[in-house]
Amino acid sequence: MSQSYERGLVEDFGRWREFSAGMWAWVFHKFTGWVLVGYLFTHIAVLSTATQSPEAYTSTIQTLEGLLAVRLLEIGLLAVAVFHILNGLRLLLVDLGVGLEAQDKAFYASIGLTGAIVVGSVPTFLAGVF
Amino acid sequence: MSERYSSFDRKGQRWLWQRITAAFLVVVLAFHFFLLHFVNHAAEVTFAASSARMSQWTYYSLMVLFLITATFHGVNGVYNALLNQGLSGRRRQAVKWTLVVASALLIVRGVQTANAWAGVSLF
Repeated sequence: MSQSYERGLVEDFGRWREFSAGMWAWVFHKFTGWVLVGYLFTHIAVLSTATQSPEAYTSTIQTLEGLLAVRLLEIGLLAVAVFHILNGLRLLLVDLGVGLEAQDKAFYASIGLTGAIVVGSVPTFLAGVF
Repeated sequence: MSERYSSFDRKGQRWLWQRITAAFLVVVLAFHFFLLHFVNHAAEVTFAASSARMSQWTYYSLMVLFLITATFHGVNGVYNALLNQGLSGRRRQAVKWTLVVASALLIVRGVQTANAWAGVSLF
């Protein structure tokens, strides 16, 4: 049986220097969750230009996609979404009691894999903007 | 025992539904990103292309289910994060109902948009 640690409340962000891997995973999952739900409202607002007219929708999307800042934000969104998905899988496994001993390694793997997928996707996301 | 920490009340319905929607969203969010950034490219989006996808009832129903589950998962997550920060009493009720109304408006607006693409004129 592994040792148990008293780490205190993760909600107490002032203690961040003492945080362990699992606590950082919790913080990153909350942060990426807030970003994703904020984006969901923005996404529907932009897409709903389709209810005005086909032309309004097409020109809104193509104007936004022509901006470098939007493309960079999309890469940020990809990073946030991929981490939330991978760490979400880790959380589902933790909740099922699978691989509890390796939950910290699973967090590092989520970070590493997110980085690799995002770096590999940069050319696709920046295609045609320059 | 290893440490196991969850911010949710594990006996609650909200905890269970957060996990059920998570399992669905893991797959559908990855599919959504892949289809609209790698198979098709966001920069080449047109109303006609969106309309062609949304005119298939399988895609339409998947996207409406995606909208509903993502809204629930996101808003439920926000609500629980706020409860963990100590939200209670009348403020908790006010936040809860604001989030319920915001979710309903988001879903209605999303379905209206999907209907515009699919050529459905229900509302």
